[in-house]
Formats: sequence, C-alpha cells, structure tokens
Amino acid sequence: MTDRTVANVTCLGCGCACDDITVVVTQDRIAEARNACALGTAWFGDGSVPAETRVNGRAASVEQALTEAARLLTGAKRPLVYLAGDLSCETQREAVAIADRLHAAIDSLAATAATAVLAAQRRGRAGATLGEIRQRADLVVFWAVDPSARYPRYRSRYATGRQNRTMIAVDVGEHRGPAEADGRVALAPADEVDGLEMMRAAVQGRAAGEDERFRSVVELARRMTGARYVAIVADSEPGLAPADPARAEALVTLAQALNGPTRCALSTLRGGGNRSGADAVLTWQTGFPFAVDFARGYPSYQPQASAAALLAGGEVDAALVIGTPATLPEPVTTALARVRSIAIGPRASTATFQPAVAVDTGSAGIHEGGTAFRMDDVPLPLRPSLGGGSRAALVTIHALRERLGAGA
Amino acid sequence: MSKPTRLRITGGAVYDPANGADGVVRDVCIEGDRIVAELPASAPRLDARGMVVMPGGVDIHAHVAGSSVNHARRLLPEEHAADPLPAPRLDDRAVARSGSGGTVPSTFATGYRYAGLGYTTAMEAAVAPISARHAHAELDDTPIIDAGFFVLLGNDDYLLRQLGAGEAARARDYAAWLLGTTRAYAIKIVNPGGVAVWKGGGDRRNVSGLDDALGSSAVTPRKILEALAGAANALGLPHPVHIHCNNLGQPGNATTTLESMKALSGQRAHFTHLQFHSYGGAPGKGWASAAREVIEYVNAHGEVSVDVGQVMFGAATTVTADSPVEHLLYASSGRKWVNVDIELESGCGIVPYAYKEKAAVAALQWAVGLELFLLANDPWRVVLSTDHPNGGTFLSYPELIRLLMDRAYRDERLKAVNQKLLAGSALLDGLSREYTLGEIAIITRAGPARLLGLQGKGHLGPGADADVTIYTNEADRAKMFATPRYVIKAGTLVVEEGQLRRAPAGRRLAVRPEYDAAVTKDVKRFFDESACVAFENYGAEPVA
Repeated sequence: MTDRTVANVTCLGCGCACDDITVVVTQDRIAEARNACALGTAWFGDGSVPAETRVNGRAASVEQALTEAARLLTGAKRPLVYLAGDLSCETQREAVAIADRLHAAIDSLAATAATAVLAAQRRGRAGATLGEIRQRADLVVFWAVDPSARYPRYRSRYATGRQNRTMIAVDVGEHRGPAEADGRVALAPADEVDGLEMMRAAVQGRAAGEDERFRSVVELARRMTGARYVAIVADSEPGLAPADPARAEALVTLAQALNGPTRCALSTLRGGGNRSGADAVLTWQTGFPFAVDFARGYPSYQPQASAAALLAGGEVDAALVIGTPATLPEPVTTALARVRSIAIGPRASTATFQPAVAVDTGSAGIHEGGTAFRMDDVPLPLRPSLGGGSRAALVTIHALRERLGAGA
Repeated sequence: MSKPTRLRITGGAVYDPANGADGVVRDVCIEGDRIVAELPASAPRLDARGMVVMPGGVDIHAHVAGSSVNHARRLLPEEHAADPLPAPRLDDRAVARSGSGGTVPSTFATGYRYAGLGYTTAMEAAVAPISARHAHAELDDTPIIDAGFFVLLGNDDYLLRQLGAGEAARARDYAAWLLGTTRAYAIKIVNPGGVAVWKGGGDRRNVSGLDDALGSSAVTPRKILEALAGAANALGLPHPVHIHCNNLGQPGNATTTLESMKALSGQRAHFTHLQFHSYGGAPGKGWASAAREVIEYVNAHGEVSVDVGQVMFGAATTVTADSPVEHLLYASSGRKWVNVDIELESGCGIVPYAYKEKAAVAALQWAVGLELFLLANDPWRVVLSTDHPNGGTFLSYPELIRLLMDRAYRDERLKAVNQKLLAGSALLDGLSREYTLGEIAIITRAGPARLLGLQGKGHLGPGADADVTIYTNEADRAKMFATPRYVIKAGTLVVEEGQLRRAPAGRRLAVRPEYDAAVTKDVKRFFDESACVAFENYGAEPVA
C-alpha cells in the first residue's frame, strides 16, 4: 500500500473524539498522528495489530474459531457478552443482536460511568453538546477535575480560553481543577455533596446558611447565577474511590436549578473507545444503556448486576468479549480469567484472561470505518487510515451472528 | 406464501379515497412490491370478504428515531421495564428482535408496533443535522416501515446569519445542501428563533411573537418562516416546510398561530400538532379553546395543511427541539427533565408527562384536538397525529379513531372530563359529526401521503407501493383499528391473522435537491471558524 495522508480522522483515545487528526502513513505503518495529544498518539500507535486466531491456545482458522465460539455460546446456560473498547456502532449493533439471540446478559464499557447515568435516569440532565459550551459559556467551572490528564484536548477544543470567559477550579481534596484557572475554591471531600446542595439553595434563593465551610462555594453559586451561560465540567469516569450517587445527582440538580436565573450545561466527561456509542446502541435497541439481561427473552435492566458482579457471582459460564481486551475494567479482566471466554477484537490474542477462542481484528477508526459517538452523543464517522491487512471486527461479528442463527 | 410475488385480495370493501373508492367491493392485485391493475385468475388469493381494505397507514409526524428520542429512552428505564417485548415468532426463522415499549419504544419494537397497527410509513419529525448519522442508524434498526426524517433548520446559526445578511439565495442553497448531506426528507422549523434565544443565555429565554427580533439583527420568527417556506417551495421539495409555531402550549397562542399562517399566505406550508397551538385566553389569565378560529382559517386557505397533535389521556413523553417550552413544563410539573443545547443548530428538551381526564388543562387540550378534527372541512389537509409520544403514543390512534367515528362514545367520554375550561367550546356545545371510514382513510393514509408528496403511498392504484392493511369490520372502531387482520408491506405479508409474521427492512425516504455548490465553500469557512466537528465529517454520507 502506498504512503498517504488521511485527514479528518476521528480519534477514540478518549471521549473527546477529536475529529481533526491527520494520519500520515508510511510503508503501511502510522508514522504520525498530527494534532493528536499524547493519549491519541498512543491510541493510534503505529497501527500494527496482531493477526492471530487461536482455539485453546493453538493456531486455528477463523472458521474453526467461529465454530468453536458458537459451540461454547450455544452450550452455555448463562452467557455474557461484553462490549469492550474500539468498536464501531455498527459492530456494537451486531453484538447486541448476538446477546438477544443467546438470551445473554450484556454489558459494556459504558458501565464505567454508571453512577452518572443512573443519576441522569433519576433526574434528567441539563446538558449541551461540546460545541455549544465552546460557543456560549462565559463561566466554566471545573468541578474536581483537570481534563488535561484523561481528556487532554478537552479544554483546547471545547472550553478554550477566550475573552470574557472565566474559568474556576473547584478543588475537592486531591481532585483539583486546572492549575491555570482564573480562580479556585476548595471543598473537603466529606463536604462535597452538602456543598453542592448549598449552592443549589443559593441559586434558588433559599437560605444557604452561614457555615464557613461552604462560604466560598455559595459565593461561587452567586457568581454562576450572574453569568450569561455557565458550564460545569465534571468527570463521570471513576477515580480511585467509588463514585457517590448523591454527588452525581447533586451535580445534575445544581445544573438544572441554574436554568432559571441563567443558563447552564453540565458536561460529564466520559472515556474513549466509543463507549458512548455502546450506551447509545444498547439504549435504542433495548431501552437501557448498560447492564442489560436478555435471560427472560426480552431486555431487562440490572444496573446492580453489572458484568463484574455477574462474573464475580459465578453465574456466567461463557463470556464473549468483543473489542480491545486491554480496555476492560480491572475487576472484569480478573473475573474473566475464571470462565470460558471468547475474545474477538483488536489484540484479542494478547488478552490476559486466556480466552478459549481468540480472534484478532483491526481497530475501529484505524483499520475499519463506521460510526462512533463523542462523549456528548454527537455521532462521528470513522476513517480507516490502514486497510487490507487485518480482519474486520464487523465482518467477524456478523459471521458469528450468522452462525448462531436467527431464531430464538 | 412467504413473499408472494402475486396476490389477489378478493371481496373486501376497498377504501381508496385517492382513487375514488369509498367502500366499493373490488379486488386489489399485487405483483412484487407494487399494486397492479389485474392478475391472471391463477394468482394466489387472499379472501377479504366482509373486511375493510385500505392502503397502509402513513404517519406524517412522530418522534421515533435519533438523538432526542434516544435521550428520552435513556430517561425512562421504568417504562421499559414495565412493557417488555419478547422477540416475535417470525416465519422462515427470520431475524426477530426483542425490545421494550412504553411511550418511547426501542427501535425494533417501534417497527413491529407500527406494522401491527397497519402503519407502513412514518416520518421522524425532528432531527438536528449534527445527529443525522445517528437518526439513520436507528431507522436502519427500525424494521418494516418506510421512514424518513425532517431536519431542523429554524434556529440554525448559519441560516440565521444568512438571513441577517440578506442572503436569501445562499440560505436556500444551504437548506438544499443540508437536506442532501443529512439525507433528510423535509425542512422542519421548531419555534423559529425561540430556541436560539434560549441557548443564548442572558436575560431572554424565548421569543414571544413573530416580530420579536433576535439579538441586534433584523432576524425575526416571521423572516425565518418566510425564508424556509420560500426555500422549500422554490426547491420543489415533495413536502412543504413543516412548522411547529412559536408559543407552543401557551394560553392565547392561537393569535401567534394565525399570524404565522397569514405570514405565509398563498404559500404551501404544513402546520404541525395544531392542537398545541390553538388556545385562547392569555398567559396568567386562563385558558380557552380557540380551535374554531384556527380551523376556520385552515378551512378557508387551501395552501395550508395541518396535523392535529391530539392529546390522549394517559402516559406521554414530551420530547421536542422546543427546549424553552420543556423548561417551563419542568418548572411547573417538577418531573425529571432533560435539556440538551445542540451546537449551532437546535435544542432538545424532554419531560415525561401524563394527561389526566380530571385535569382542567389536559381536558381542554383533548377537547381542542377533537374540535379541530370535527370542524375541519377538508380531511385531505387535516391529518391524524398525536405528535407521538408528546400527546400520547401512536398506539392510541385506534382510540382516537373511535372518538372521531362514534359520537355516542365521544359524548360519554366528554362527560367524564374536567369541564372547567370547556365553557363555550364547540365540543361542549355539541358536535354531531361522525367521521366515515372513507374520511378515516384520508386522514390516516391518503391525506398524509399526498401532503408528503409520496406518490406511491396512501393509495391502491396501479403502480402504488403494495402497502395494504386489511381490517375486520367491527362496530368497535378502536378494536378494529388496533388489530388489523392482515398487513402487507411492499408485497410482503407482515401481519397474518393479527400476528406479526415477517419483518423485512423498510426503505429510507430522502430528498436530494439541487443547489449552487458555491455555498459549500462558505459553509466550510463557517465550520472552520465556529464548529467543532470537521465539515468533512458532517452529515450522514459514508466517508470511507
């Protein structure tokens, strides 16, 4: 294949899904991903992926692998399908169809943001697509997050510094906002939820109390109320501590309350690999965004019984992992080591949980096209910069689906 | 007979108003996916004696696919849990999918339920262009029905800039380009200018009337209406501009609605969910029906078409690009609320809702919708809709048909509703009209197909799409229309003896008008300055 340059490539390194990457290909390797941040550069790599197919550790044909995969899955009493990272929505749609056919449980990387998703299901959301924040926000509040670590280009693309824009950092314990903020406010982690409630009280004109611990955030709330358009940026992906449902809900309700006296959008940061696509696809096909169980022949929502919990409970007797195994949350990886599994996706053969069947494929956005969702649910096309050499995930999953037959 | 290449439907009473058939007993012949004039006597037959034969239903306005609908689905796990749908058992081991219902069903459930209702075509009424790719993906997962969508343009930043600069031709070229690149079917306006004001922040939250200027520019709701109605007509689009007026749901809004109609006098335009725009009274001073005033204007102006947007008692979900209205509903109802401002284009607001017979405003809304239907002179221009799922779901259409066809039933229901705001309403004064089956065929298929410019839909003449619904002729019209005996889609028998049997993929309905390509250079410049999606990645065309 000749050397070439592919422009307007969408990166799935994080949920920003920057679509301004120019990929330079030299001798069938990615030589450069222009405009990409460090995460993006690492995500593209040189574009080389293994191309192995294995059954029980031995090299096999794809036919053999899919036959064995189908045998394991149809023989299972409690199959689990897991949507890992780096899949197009087109592949995710096929994967949900497989789970439906198998009466399997299905979960995805979207479950990492479960706390924020559940809060939004209880309360709703006051949000905006990221370009709206870039266009409108005159006050951006980074709530206990500096996007530069996990979402490196978030600020430069969506909340860039501009005239008449103020950036405030709210530091909650060691979770600090950006160092370059125009102002900062500190809260003790134990006071965070109460602080958010005090702010909402102030916004709604209710007495916010005189407690010294909340003086500075209540002042911030008044400042937010006086702004033209406020953006609150918060991370919905888990840190070291488990996410607090009350915190997620308090962020939503504060943002909603600000939409009276002024306008406000809460921007919840989400990770990469097209996990927002998995959320969207599961929602439109089943009505639920993650942790769906088809065991009864129809989708039921089991947010308390996520993949990690099902695996830990010892119920699952066969797991189909689709996508890049290295993107799996650690508890899922650990638990997968204890069940018979099938891995299909980029670098499936390197999965640490030792799948019985492994089929390497290319990666969405590098080797194959399709659609992915930005963290704000904006769909973007994927442009493969490398072609040919690797097996397509979509074709492979579709072939597996055909093998499993149509009817229940 | 899995996919009959030929089928003669014999002995049914055919209601094909576009071809002048009003219950005449005659055969309907199908060859492949088309209606044909005649078939050899040896062709397979479907005995429809004693039954009612109509073209497949056509929904001119529903919210069934795309970003806003999916936000609504995500918001309603409790509804989906309460209404699970196992995969239907289809013939030939065809792919069948499970799903969930509620007011905003999953995609497969949407396709199956429309087909089960005898509807074979539906238009998604509001898609933000930036999410067009998403809407198409959902429609790809919505089986059986032929579907398209209307693309939101009434608050579009680039469009408003062209209007402000007096660049009418460029605005028209932009609309044409956008329709093509998003693979949309028609131009939609939602609360012209109002959503842009809501998104702008500051002191204003909405526009209040047709001449309420946006910012310092000379852009007004009136100018947006004129520009886009003009564009749709000049481009020769099959469906005229589809308008959701300003001030939806506000008492006294009939004035705005009539002004909007007058602003476009002499031009084709479709005014949607008219019920939500036909209220008298005044903000803060109470509500009344203004249905008579509004429908009399429609009756007298042949260039105007409408769909009613009937409110039906029970659960609903309000989902609209009219985000300032949803904020008001959130503030007054205290229910959960989604708002998403959509960059440079539009908005999205969602509040789950329930219309209760004993609630005065809901009862008024119910009455206003029925008055619009019952006082309309020309059924070809007054389409049946509930603005699904805003006024109720599409599953409530059969009940609505009964209300229109059965006066005794209607009067009985009227007695049960809150009367507080109904004083002086035409419905309370007594409307004796009962819709005929022929008129129902017009307002549910022939009319909407004609207004959408779908030449193969809504009729059973030779060359038409072989979309046919066959009902058992029952006195209980709600029961009759809820459970068609047979439904044929593009020649395939999808419902047999009341059971869904096959679920072929539907077709996508889209337009691709011509335009001066110079506009794309200017749009690209605008994208480079203002957008955070690459111009090359925008729209819904394949890129690789």
